[in-house]
Amino acid sequence: MPGWLTGTAAIALAAGTLLGLRTPRIWLAATLLAATALLAAAIGELRTGVPWDWHSRFLVAGQQVHWRMDAISAVFIAVLAFVGGLGAVYSRGYWDDRHHPRSAPRSRVWWSAMLLSMLVVLLSANGLHFLIAWELFALCSYFLITLERRDTEVRAAGWLYLAASHAGTLCLFAFFSALAARTGTWELGPVRDHPELAPLFWIALAGFGVKAGLFPLHIWLPSAHANAPSHVSALMSGVAIKLGLYGIIRFGGWLPLPPAAGWVVMAVGAVTGLLGIAFALAQDDFKRLLAYSSVENIGIILVGVGGGLLGVTHGDTAWGRLAMAGALLHLWNHAVFKSLLFFGAGSVLHATGTREMSRLGGLWRAMPWTAILFATGAVAVAALPPLNGFVSEWLVYLGLFGAVTSHHSAAVVAMPAIIVLGTTGALALAAFVKASAMIFLGGPRTALARSVHESGRWMLGPMLVGAVACLALGLVPLVFWPGISTAVGAWNSGWAAEPAANPLRVLGPVQVGIAATVLLGVAVLRRRAVTGPVPVGPTWDCGYAAPTARMQYTSGSFAGIATGWFGWILAPERRMRRPRGFFPAEASRIERFPETVLERVLGPAARLTLRFAATARRLQHGRLQFYIAYVVVGLLGLAALVVTGVKP
Amino acid sequence: MMTVIEIALRLAGWLVLAPLLPGIINQVKAWVAGRRGPPVLQLYYDLARLWRKRIVLSTLASPGFLAGPAVAWVAILAAAMLLPLGPAGTALSFKGDVLLLIYLLALARFATAWAALETGSAFEGMGAAREVSYAVLAEAAIITAVLSLSVHTGSITLAEMLEPASGAGAALLAGGLFTVLLAENCRVPFDDPNTHLELTMIHEVMVLDHSGPPFAAILHGASMKLLLFSILLTEAVVPLGSLNPIVATGILLAGVLVVTVGVGLVESLLARLAFRRVPLLLTTAFLLCLFALLVAWKGATA
Repeated sequence: MPGWLTGTAAIALAAGTLLGLRTPRIWLAATLLAATALLAAAIGELRTGVPWDWHSRFLVAGQQVHWRMDAISAVFIAVLAFVGGLGAVYSRGYWDDRHHPRSAPRSRVWWSAMLLSMLVVLLSANGLHFLIAWELFALCSYFLITLERRDTEVRAAGWLYLAASHAGTLCLFAFFSALAARTGTWELGPVRDHPELAPLFWIALAGFGVKAGLFPLHIWLPSAHANAPSHVSALMSGVAIKLGLYGIIRFGGWLPLPPAAGWVVMAVGAVTGLLGIAFALAQDDFKRLLAYSSVENIGIILVGVGGGLLGVTHGDTAWGRLAMAGALLHLWNHAVFKSLLFFGAGSVLHATGTREMSRLGGLWRAMPWTAILFATGAVAVAALPPLNGFVSEWLVYLGLFGAVTSHHSAAVVAMPAIIVLGTTGALALAAFVKASAMIFLGGPRTALARSVHESGRWMLGPMLVGAVACLALGLVPLVFWPGISTAVGAWNSGWAAEPAANPLRVLGPVQVGIAATVLLGVAVLRRRAVTGPVPVGPTWDCGYAAPTARMQYTSGSFAGIATGWFGWILAPERRMRRPRGFFPAEASRIERFPETVLERVLGPAARLTLRFAATARRLQHGRLQFYIAYVVVGLLGLAALVVTGVKP
Repeated sequence: MMTVIEIALRLAGWLVLAPLLPGIINQVKAWVAGRRGPPVLQLYYDLARLWRKRIVLSTLASPGFLAGPAVAWVAILAAAMLLPLGPAGTALSFKGDVLLLIYLLALARFATAWAALETGSAFEGMGAAREVSYAVLAEAAIITAVLSLSVHTGSITLAEMLEPASGAGAALLAGGLFTVLLAENCRVPFDDPNTHLELTMIHEVMVLDHSGPPFAAILHGASMKLLLFSILLTEAVVPLGSLNPIVATGILLAGVLVVTVGVGLVESLLARLAFRRVPLLLTTAFLLCLFALLVAWKGATA
């Protein structure tokens, strides 16, 4: 059965790639068919837990094609199907042929090709094919990011993505070839019995970490996510960076682990989470904010993965299992609410044409549905009960606390991770109160926010599905637990035999109770407060008679206190013209938060390298007699070495 | 049937007793200042009056403006229901409930800040910005305190964590949690619940535009939060589980009273801090909780 479904999906995606250029409807049908088939295959796999294998009779690149779907790949395939399908529907309203006659057909082709290549990455059980599919996937996402290639900023973002991605791929080449050389085959599988392979884990962490967006390897992520069309951002954030995590999780479960693996991953995750959300809070561009929040969520997932790895290296499974389950569930949750948020951001961008929150405000009136759906996503991403983000973070917390309460040596890293996770949660709340309020609440700050329209059904539909999924994952997590439990068992084969203790049995109903009480409370208060016509007036600004919308708190002023604490890493650039004299004419304050690692570390380092190279280039000037002189000097030097007998 | 009655009793207890605390604080402040002060039951009168009143809305406010106070109130009440009440235990106890409690308080913060930003008032934006920013430090302190209790007792269930005393770190924890209580409940030295100069406030300035029943929900929710934190503080420090139930109940009540009077005294004797000093004080609270954690860790591994 999974064979048929996966085969159908692969054929449908291939057909979509071929037909997408001319026939949007057939393309959409094919993509949705593929998404449904993949979702069914993944669900089937997560229910049974029996891996599915397929060997081809033909060879590709000299290797037999070997596809395997086990519960771990099924977790990711479910994400791929969900976001891939929703994004395809969304793009029909957001990136239609009428407004984008040149790039919309290209968008469809690359979309299908990207889904197909990601599917092959997730299914490949052969290292060589994995690498080929990985490279194709990187190229497809490059073309999707640069759909609007006339814009120089978009081209720069695409180029940065391509460069960073290939730096990661370079590590993966080293990783897979070393693995193949050591094991004697390109076939992938558990190699825990080769302890000498343990150092390869670090190469894999770096190579996949670039794609996942670990701090400080995340440099490509904010600009790529912000400049890509929003359905592409959703796919990148929901699925593409998860493929980096797939590599880390997959090979963390197969490779022999270095003793430090667990706590390094957990520490990296904690740093990624905290700094990711600090950068997110500082942004004024709402798509950059969402992108940095993806960095944060990758950090949270990695903290859970680190807990799982610690559980493996210490042979204690109860809390490691919980942390890993939390990580896998958070991966789903993040894909769901982040695609919802990127769709919402796309609708706002579509309606107003700006990504700057300080120019928006009060959009709820014109876009009530987008506002409420975006708010749902914001509550979910801030990990607040009763939505889904809380459930998975809670599981990660349980795992970490389990390590602490058992007074395990892993507690030394689990305790700081818990504190950082708590702080990250509070910062995420600040960032998403800011994002939703600056866009949708208050009054319109500029004319751009005044003449807006609600999005159409093609755009609202996928957002509604995303919000419902947020609710479902939050209120009835019990339904999803068996699948996650199977996946955790499949991740580390030593764990499969243990019965799964279900911590969600109480939390699920409690979440439902909270949601019901909240609705009841809102209804009662509303009924009590609105009994007749309600007097309405301008906002009471402490008696100031002529308030304007420009006097509202902006995103910069809202985040100012907390970003001040992170000034050491955010390194904001400020330009200020103070008001002067008794009748000041004008004053201004411009603040920009650069991508610190890229602009303050990598940029200068690259410039230094170039300058050094330029200096070295002077030696190569094309004058033959000098070249002969170099040779003579070199020979004389060697001769001197030989004569004096100095041994190097 | 018994559970329904029990839950109803608990609800009634929280709903009815909570507004007493601000009254006691005001009495203490009046006593220190040598004034007569408002009646202890003043907040009850205010709530009844507000509940009967009509509301006024800003032209900019969305339906979320009314939903915010309701969500915040329900979240605080739900958090309160998770808290064990000394010998009476808790209505519902499960592994990890303490994290749900913390995140329910965060939900209340989200809803309050959301409603504050509805009206587009610069003052309320200021209050919301301060609230969500200082909460970052307060949350770090709370989670550290929880961690120290958890290390000490080897559990993450509130009922089990709060039963024994927090051991040698009790004084540190008390100092840290009391500071967090002052910050989270918007009392001096972080905030001044009395002033009407909006520039200097956090909580009051976030609720400037609320009126009528929603405002009643906000005031009542704030008093429940104060009661919640006083009970939490008392239980974290005093080993109620090892005492006879009647004595334990008496000590719990006395503890809440001591905390309340303490808040009143702090409010009478201290001035509000300059805002740039607030993070320093909250960091001190975090450090106190961190030292409590280290003491607990030392005690647990020794």
